[in-house]
Amino acid sequence: MSEAIHAASRTATNDGTSASVESSDTSLPEVPRAMRCAARGIKKAFGATPILRGVDLEIPEGTFAVLVGPSGCGKSTLLRLVAGLEEADEGAITLADRDVTHLPPRDRDVAMVFQSYALYPHLTVRDNLAFGLKLRGTSTAEIDERIEEASAMLGLAKLLDRLPKQLSGGQRQRVAMGRAIVRRPTIFLFDEPLSNLDAALRAEVRVEIRRLHDRLGATTLYVTHDQVEAMTLADSLWVLNGGLVEQKGPPLEIYERPRTKFVATFLGSPQMNLLSGRLVKEGGLVFAEGGGVRSRVDDERFRSELDDGREVTIGVRPHDMFLAKGDAPKIAELKVEIVEALGSEAFAHGWLTSSGPTVIARLDAADARTVKPGSVIPLGAAPTSIHLFDAATDRALA
Amino acid sequence: MKHLRALVTLIAVVAMTVLLPGCGEPPRGIVLWHPYRGGEEAALKKGVLRFEAERGLKVTVLAVPYEAYLAKLEAAIPRGNGPDVFIGPHNRLGEYLLHRLVAPVGDAFPDADAPRYEPVTVAAITYEGERWAVPLASKCGALYYNPRLLPEAPRTLDDLAAKRDFALGPGIWPLAYESHTAYWHSALLHAYGGELFGAPASTEGGAGAPPGFAMTGEAAERSLDKARELVATRVVPDEASGDLVKTLFTTGKAASVISGPWLAGDLEDKVPYEVVPLPSIPGVGAMRPFLTVDGVFMTPEGAKSEGARALARSLGDAASAAERAEIGKQVVATRSYWSAQDGGGDAAALSPEAKRQRALLVAFHEASADAIPMPVSPAMNPVWVPAEQAIRKVLRGDASPRDALAEAKARYDDVMRTPPREAVSPAPLVVVVGLALLAAAFAVVRRVRAPGFRRELAASKPAYKYVLHAAITILVLVVLPLVAGAAMSFFAGTREEARFVGLGNYVEILTARGKPLLSHGSFYLTLLVTVAWTVVNVALHVSIGLVLGIALARPVLRLRAIYRVLLIIPWAVPSYVTALAWKGMFHRQFGAINAILVALGAEPISWFAKFSTAFAANVSTNVWLGFPFMMVVVMGALTSISKDVLEAAEVDGATRWQAFRLVTLPLLRPTLLPAVVLGSVWTFNMFNVVFLVSGGEPDGTTDILVSEAYRWAFARNAQLGYAAAYAVIIFGLLALMSKVLGRIGGGDAKEAI
Amino acid sequence: MSARSKRGSALEAVLVHALLLVAVVYALYPVLWVVTLALSKAGGIEPRVIPVPHGADEITLDNFRLVTGAGDPERSWLFARQLVNSLVVSFATAATAVAIATPAAYALARFEFVGKRSGLRGMLLTQMFPGVASAVPLYLILDALHLLDTRSGLVLVYAATAVPFAVFQLRGAFLAIPVDLEEAAMVDGATRTQAFLKVALPAARPAIAVTALFAFMSAWNEFILAATLLGRESAFTLPVVLQSYVGEYSTQWGAFAAGAILVSVPVMVLFYVAQRQLLSGLTAGGVKG
Repeated sequence: MSEAIHAASRTATNDGTSASVESSDTSLPEVPRAMRCAARGIKKAFGATPILRGVDLEIPEGTFAVLVGPSGCGKSTLLRLVAGLEEADEGAITLADRDVTHLPPRDRDVAMVFQSYALYPHLTVRDNLAFGLKLRGTSTAEIDERIEEASAMLGLAKLLDRLPKQLSGGQRQRVAMGRAIVRRPTIFLFDEPLSNLDAALRAEVRVEIRRLHDRLGATTLYVTHDQVEAMTLADSLWVLNGGLVEQKGPPLEIYERPRTKFVATFLGSPQMNLLSGRLVKEGGLVFAEGGGVRSRVDDERFRSELDDGREVTIGVRPHDMFLAKGDAPKIAELKVEIVEALGSEAFAHGWLTSSGPTVIARLDAADARTVKPGSVIPLGAAPTSIHLFDAATDRALA
Repeated sequence: MKHLRALVTLIAVVAMTVLLPGCGEPPRGIVLWHPYRGGEEAALKKGVLRFEAERGLKVTVLAVPYEAYLAKLEAAIPRGNGPDVFIGPHNRLGEYLLHRLVAPVGDAFPDADAPRYEPVTVAAITYEGERWAVPLASKCGALYYNPRLLPEAPRTLDDLAAKRDFALGPGIWPLAYESHTAYWHSALLHAYGGELFGAPASTEGGAGAPPGFAMTGEAAERSLDKARELVATRVVPDEASGDLVKTLFTTGKAASVISGPWLAGDLEDKVPYEVVPLPSIPGVGAMRPFLTVDGVFMTPEGAKSEGARALARSLGDAASAAERAEIGKQVVATRSYWSAQDGGGDAAALSPEAKRQRALLVAFHEASADAIPMPVSPAMNPVWVPAEQAIRKVLRGDASPRDALAEAKARYDDVMRTPPREAVSPAPLVVVVGLALLAAAFAVVRRVRAPGFRRELAASKPAYKYVLHAAITILVLVVLPLVAGAAMSFFAGTREEARFVGLGNYVEILTARGKPLLSHGSFYLTLLVTVAWTVVNVALHVSIGLVLGIALARPVLRLRAIYRVLLIIPWAVPSYVTALAWKGMFHRQFGAINAILVALGAEPISWFAKFSTAFAANVSTNVWLGFPFMMVVVMGALTSISKDVLEAAEVDGATRWQAFRLVTLPLLRPTLLPAVVLGSVWTFNMFNVVFLVSGGEPDGTTDILVSEAYRWAFARNAQLGYAAAYAVIIFGLLALMSKVLGRIGGGDAKEAI
Repeated sequence: MSARSKRGSALEAVLVHALLLVAVVYALYPVLWVVTLALSKAGGIEPRVIPVPHGADEITLDNFRLVTGAGDPERSWLFARQLVNSLVVSFATAATAVAIATPAAYALARFEFVGKRSGLRGMLLTQMFPGVASAVPLYLILDALHLLDTRSGLVLVYAATAVPFAVFQLRGAFLAIPVDLEEAAMVDGATRTQAFLKVALPAARPAIAVTALFAFMSAWNEFILAATLLGRESAFTLPVVLQSYVGEYSTQWGAFAAGAILVSVPVMVLFYVAQRQLLSGLTAGGVKG
């Protein structure tokens, strides 16, 4: 393994990420030299249907970047463009400072793990692993060495002489990863690699993927529609919607500061509660009011005008709400319909007003016993946890 | 790309190197083709060897199967690849002349040789004042009888008729012959003074009328009455094929049979027999069979070669004749052999077997003296089918002789339609073809000018590398011959003497030659039959294939491998023989199907007497032939369906049937659809089952479009243009059908095809 | 598995076997006639329900001896050559048809290109034209290509005839193979051609085997073209030889039947040996479905 490069990239990772995300919002600067993978102004349509409508992407050395979004958002297409399996209608892609826009996949030095694993059915595990190396004319000794290394890493040693059809789902998944690892590519591409596994295995492999990444320090582009994978794996998260990047950045930052209503609802489970309302100024304080909620807003946080009467969508995550006890300020009263107790915590589902949408609030495990369906409970939330979105544009007020 | 090209080159090289060396051509010398087998072939070869030794010339001998003989002659001779001399029956001379395959034999048969051959054979090979062949041997019918059953040689039909109703024993027929064929019926016809072929019986046409279908008038009607009486009174069995005639005789189920000299070879010592000339009909006359003469013909090329002419002449000499008689057991045309027999020769020195052999030949020789040489004319060919249809109709009792013959005559006249003689203006054709080309050009131009076309074309380049060789192969070896065939549809007459008729052939077909649109043999009626034939067959092929394919795909099945192999047997055995086995199974009196029906207590069915049963017989044969193919397709397609999906359906609560209908079938569809579409197309054009099993019986009603086209091409005056027009129309219909089916099936079907 | 469904499957197994037995009887009954014909002395058989010779004295191998030329070294040698011809021609046809059809089928399954739709339609259309009289045009074309009288020419004609169906069959098979496999190969460094040769082709092996069998069969039983296009007896294939037992007036049915059986035996052996290969679900397991 090219230890030097990987070690170097590892150190550059964390600060590189946040910096680039901050800087590249509207303008299109030159691709920074340290980028392992970058895409500029990518447009792609299938027939008359636009899939990507001008996407930029930057993945610094050693970064684990995750593309997330609902189905049809173009995330897989973007991955396939990076792999070279599709060609962009417009835009440019560079890998390790090389313009690969018009290169076929084999000349891009990428490795990809497919959702279906795409193991060659007629080859044994060993031959599956060796396939790409043989095509590149790697020496037999080198191939054996790399297979040994990868199979030790993934626990495939005993499976090497089996055919894919003799493997379990998890084993096949590991072979697919092994096939990528032995290649030591410029970048690892993952296309929803866990979606065919059951929940327990998925959690296990998720951790394993992150562990492998940390160990190899490999630059990775990972596509998923699962927000848990997105949150837990990413160094740098890219939320795609409708063929555009909605928001990018470290996952926690995006979670905490979603820039659009879409991002706000897409990340976080249960979803953020959204209520339409408006801003009210009272005695120098700003309140958000509507849909049964009245809460103070931490106006320090916002740079934009918090005009009186401005129409907004008020967003509160269930986790930011609590049962307002004693003199704690309450922002709303919830008529409880059902209570989901998960053991460590609980969620109360209900309505704030008779005509309003369903609202979910988190409860402590202890409170879950006392709150009964049909009861009305007071809810509180910190002013800092209130998200405001422009009612017209759905963009967060900043 | 490099690998692909390497692969293709490798295969091409292998193909060429493996296959070519075996075909290095030794000098061929004089080339002789013949359709002989067995003893006849051995005798011929002996004569050729002697000729080679005497003259120091090399002769290459090639045996060509009878079924491919004319096609091969027709293909090879005009291109100069044909033989110099070839052997064939004289009655084909008309066709040979039509296709310009022969030249007069010239000094191979000088006038001085005339006394060398039997006069009747010389007459047979003489046509319009020229001698066209050196006569070798003659074939005609005679009566074989079993002396154990008939101690005395039957002299008259009445002798035999006296034994009717199984007087000789249970199931023993007094006489068996192929009563339903025109060839053998003609012996009766001649007895009554009738003719199958000749100047019209009525005098209206006068002397100038061209010869044609002559089986009309009182003589013909009386002969048919007689034939019907023989069958109805159980003197003669129904529709006996040549094979059945032989079997009946060898198994002692027929006391006498009418057959040719070839039968003797199969009898050997299985049954005692004597041969005498055909019986006479008291008060009417002697039955006189047709005579055919095998002759050595010269191709135009060969006639120029002195060596070839010498070879032909030498094959007629006394030594060769003796060999043909002794080894080939042929009734030779050379008189010297017979005069030697008359003189007694060395008869005393012969073994009893050889004596019997000679007696047999002598008997046939005797019979041939009374026989009537088959006429020579291209117009002879179209006589057979209508004549046979009439004979069968009468024998079945479906029509009176008069009506049946009148109908046959009408059909003959219809088939002998003379295409317009006057020059036809090519204008309509030019307009039609021009419009089609214009439409195509317009479509292409529009496509080319569509935005993004250049980019698409550039993006297509890699794909073209994959399809190029397939495209070239198909264009050259599949499309080109078809286009050449289609082009013939604008012509009439033979290939060598084609006359442009524009769209005339199409007009005639589509207007049913001026008859009612749904009349007998019309295009539209045949189309209906063809559609029914296709639908029924394909439905059965697919359903049987599916059921068996799925049954064989069961996860646990004992003997699976055995079942699979046994079930593809119908596909593995050459269909020619199995189709004829099926035909035999449907015989009314001797077929296995009726035997089973009788065993089950049902009435036997005359399968080929009614459209519905004849159609059913054809269908069961074709289904038998075709289901293994569909079964293998299904088995192959099933391998691509994962078991998970079926299990999922099971878990979802689907019954077996639901799982099949909702999961298996849709998943099989993409692989199955091309096979079904192509299967339909192939069935639509599947002429050989119809030909071999029902032969169009009853009365041509089970013929399908393509068998009709074949009849026009080969059995009706060689109207290749007319047949080609049929083929083009069939093509158009199928193309239309596939388009409509594509529409109905939606994008899915289009995707699959 | 519950007791009830077990009993159900036992009953089902019986039903399936019964069904298969009926099919086998249907498949074999006419063939039994052919076999009996080949074995019987009379050269014809007495009509009966169960077509089995009565007793040993009716059985003879003479027809087989006649066809194979047993006892006559020269004729046996010729028969052996003709058998080899048939095998060579049929295998070469299968190989050539597959070699021609596979890349084309792959392109038609995987690429978008100008003329794809019309090409597919055109290929279907070629199957619709009845070849009433295409022997003579074919003869002319082969003559022009100097392939007349050669087995290569015959193979080429057979293969060309088999290609359209082979393309449809293989295209279906390629469409059923997940694109992922080839994409994985290309990401792994394969060219399009390598992905085709090293991944798609092996995955399509069962379909290719079935297609090859179809092509083999079409060549194995054909006689009209073989007789027309070949010019020497030593170059003839077996069906041509068999067909020569059919004469204008009489047919040596016993010999013909014996020959037909000899001709079909290799096919059955081939099928028996190859059926695992033909029908194994090789694609299963490569891709999680």
